[in-house]
Amino acid sequence: MASSDKKPVLAPASTGIQGQEPPGKPETIATTVIDAGAKLVQSMKPIQKIKQHACTFALYGHDLHRQIETSHYISRLNNDFLQCAVYDSDESSARLIGVEYVVSAELFERLPAEEQKLWHSHAYEVKAGLWASPRLPDLIEKPELENLARTYGKFWCTWQVDRGDRLPLGAPALMMSPQGVNAGKVRPEMVKRRDDRLGISSEYLKEARLEMAEPEWIHPNADYWKQHGEGFAVDVVSAEMKTVAAFP
Amino acid sequence: MAAATGPIPGDPTPFSISLAETASSAIQSFAPISRIHQHLCAFHFYADDMSRQIEAHHFCAHLNEDVRQCLVFDSPDPGARLIGVEYIVSEPIYLTLPDEEKPLWHSHEFEVKSGILFLPGVSGAVQRQDLEKVAKTYGKTFHFWQVDRGDELPLGIPNLMMALTRDGQLHENLSQDVEKKFGVSFAEERGRRAYMSGPEHGVHPLANGAGKGLKLELREVALPPTVPVPSVFV
Repeated sequence: MASSDKKPVLAPASTGIQGQEPPGKPETIATTVIDAGAKLVQSMKPIQKIKQHACTFALYGHDLHRQIETSHYISRLNNDFLQCAVYDSDESSARLIGVEYVVSAELFERLPAEEQKLWHSHAYEVKAGLWASPRLPDLIEKPELENLARTYGKFWCTWQVDRGDRLPLGAPALMMSPQGVNAGKVRPEMVKRRDDRLGISSEYLKEARLEMAEPEWIHPNADYWKQHGEGFAVDVVSAEMKTVAAFP
Repeated sequence: MAAATGPIPGDPTPFSISLAETASSAIQSFAPISRIHQHLCAFHFYADDMSRQIEAHHFCAHLNEDVRQCLVFDSPDPGARLIGVEYIVSEPIYLTLPDEEKPLWHSHEFEVKSGILFLPGVSGAVQRQDLEKVAKTYGKTFHFWQVDRGDELPLGIPNLMMALTRDGQLHENLSQDVEKKFGVSFAEERGRRAYMSGPEHGVHPLANGAGKGLKLELREVALPPTVPVPSVFV
């Protein structure tokens, strides 16, 4: 039931048509006023730590042909760790489609082998000019980018908007990163569409990043599909709930 | 279980990177993040283990009047870990979900009416204007980081989470801890929220795991044949 790689039954919640807004009425004025009031008095510290925006691409780990453009909103917890809220666009109507964690090569090495299989490398994505920081001058972006090229990411997608889901359905899907070989390449028309919209050129970014140091070695446990030709899906299964009181 | 309260492993952020971030936060656009307007505190437990309960700080945005999306952190502090996401939908929207999907969602009626779910820093009267709506909604929550078992990093596969549905489920120490930290009284607030009602049609029988435990499992999937690439050639 509700597996990450199974297409849901067509229903109001999943029409198969990409790009439809979620069902529901427009926000009322009352709601907007209540929200504005809360925003004034509440402390939003974890949100204030979100200081970077990047636009990039990801592939579904169980079907690399399904590729999406993402907007990552990034919060750095230390030099080795980032946590990203991932959206399907950079507009205010964007849907929250998942979470990605990014760790340095040093932290990645310390993970158990079974865990490493769920992660992907970033070197290609950065060097190919796919990872872009909208509006940010190259010079400012540079130290962050060199850091990023050496990292590994783990990205769970909770809303498969690209297949027409108007609401988040099913289990989270494990995502993979673009790679320079075979099925890991992002379709050129997707890249062009992104580039045109942002007024950038991935080709230009790629050339600008030629000089950037590449990691000497990508861990073989990352990008699992490259070595093994297999991806991962997630299923929801029944389980005995350990309880402390009656449920529900 | 010892909760992970220490810092994330790794080196402190060097100055050059902090500087770059100060610049990016000033120059770039953060439109979807700017929609986040509300901080909501509640508890989640694992869909197959009610004894593992977590204080969950939601930072929520409306997509429209009926649908909200929230980032879930383990604390309201600047160094908080992003541990999951929650989506919240109104009752009419919930009812359109396929039956296979409905069990993954939990009801909010008890959490709201009991006073346990609250908006830190917001006065009672103002909170209740929104919470009376929340009481009728359903939520879907996944966590990716098991901080309650002491994980320093987000390990493993996601966990489906559930919410409190009756008295006696919430650990007493967690309850008192939150009341003290935020200077609130769940009992008092419960009294003031007695007028609220849950979903018009009652809590759907398929919600809350249909009353049963659920968990997620990983499965390997064969991909269309591609030439395997030795790791030497990046």
